[in-house]
Amino acid sequence: MLFCLIICCIYCNGQYPGYTLLNNPESFKKSFAQASATTVSIQSDFSQEKYLTMLSEKIKSTGKFWYRKKDNLRMEYIQPFPYLMILNAGTIFTKDGQRENKMSAGSNKVFQQVDRILLDCVGGTMLENHDFQSRIFDHTGSFLIEFKPLSKNLSSLYKNINIVIDKKDYSATSIEMFELSGDKTIIHFQNKVFNAQIPDSVFTIP
Amino acid sequence: MHRFPIRFLLFLSAAVILFSCNHYRHMQKVQSDNSCISKFKPDFNYAVYKTVAVINGKEISGILMIKKMPDSSIRIVFSSQMGLSFFDFGFLPENQFQVYQILPGMNKKAIIKTLRKDFELVMFRNMDSNSNYSLADSNQIYHAYPQFKGINYYITDDRCQHLIKMQRASNKKPVMEAFTYMDSSGTSPDSIFIRHLNFNFMITLKKTTPLAPE
Repeated sequence: MLFCLIICCIYCNGQYPGYTLLNNPESFKKSFAQASATTVSIQSDFSQEKYLTMLSEKIKSTGKFWYRKKDNLRMEYIQPFPYLMILNAGTIFTKDGQRENKMSAGSNKVFQQVDRILLDCVGGTMLENHDFQSRIFDHTGSFLIEFKPLSKNLSSLYKNINIVIDKKDYSATSIEMFELSGDKTIIHFQNKVFNAQIPDSVFTIP
Repeated sequence: MHRFPIRFLLFLSAAVILFSCNHYRHMQKVQSDNSCISKFKPDFNYAVYKTVAVINGKEISGILMIKKMPDSSIRIVFSSQMGLSFFDFGFLPENQFQVYQILPGMNKKAIIKTLRKDFELVMFRNMDSNSNYSLADSNQIYHAYPQFKGINYYITDDRCQHLIKMQRASNKKPVMEAFTYMDSSGTSPDSIFIRHLNFNFMITLKKTTPLAPE
């Protein structure tokens, strides 16, 4: 039993260096829920890096991010080329140069679930998402929540999705998406502004 | 009594249809110049393309990376703007091919085969056959490279100064066309356009500058 516990600790710590598994996450969940309840909107810059297995190059992107409770999200990629994505009450809109595309999230189960992940990650409701099994890890300045997909659709895409939470304000500082192939994408949020008034036009789908 | 003329007319119609269907039949075989095509072969050391693929009205877009590996294989990775990999293919030495990863929804033999052949044409692969030949059509030369199935054509002007387009064809007619527009270096494509002629499938690639590492 002790041996299993040691192996488990080594595995957990080895998996996320510097982090230890939180055996009693109730206190964290309470603080996290309180912080999430008071967050109505988030504006930030973001940088995204895609790491490819066996390739040294990373594919990098940067852009602007807006979130408004409960289901409004806008990601505006600026570099390496402009690309816009708006999620508004179950509709996904994308604009890539002159090409515009609009679809109902419900028309595609995978899209619906991936969008739900984004909204839940930034909105702080990911722990309530029953499509995932979660574990929480503790570090000096941050928590890491590891989400393992349970549904067939998502588990065929992602091994796990991690959110790194800043201990100061319980907001997401990064989202890490690990694919089955070993490729991973990390979105870092910087210059976060909480609860600013965001005009409806930011989330309006034309 | 009337059966012979009817049979003859049927034969004639079939012959007309058969001959008119062959897109390449009217072309004249000419002396092959192997050095002509090799100078148009693109260099894919490392390039990142903004990519849009449209199939039967459905569109996927994202970033496609092409990289030459140390073993001289070429790796092509296409991922969504948010990082989810659509596919990761390896074009290995000696015309071998490897699927490293593909989205479950795209993991179909026909899709993989089509993408493989499309990129092989654009990358000037499978050209080591000794069975190549050339056809002349007005002021264009069709440099033909027979494949396991079908033929890859690289079409140049008659003085071999420009690569006009590329075609993948059955024995009788083209099934896909590709166009490349070189960047200022003249060795790496700035834009690539792939269009299938027998079903609604197009891929457009436009080179983008990857962000410099911090």
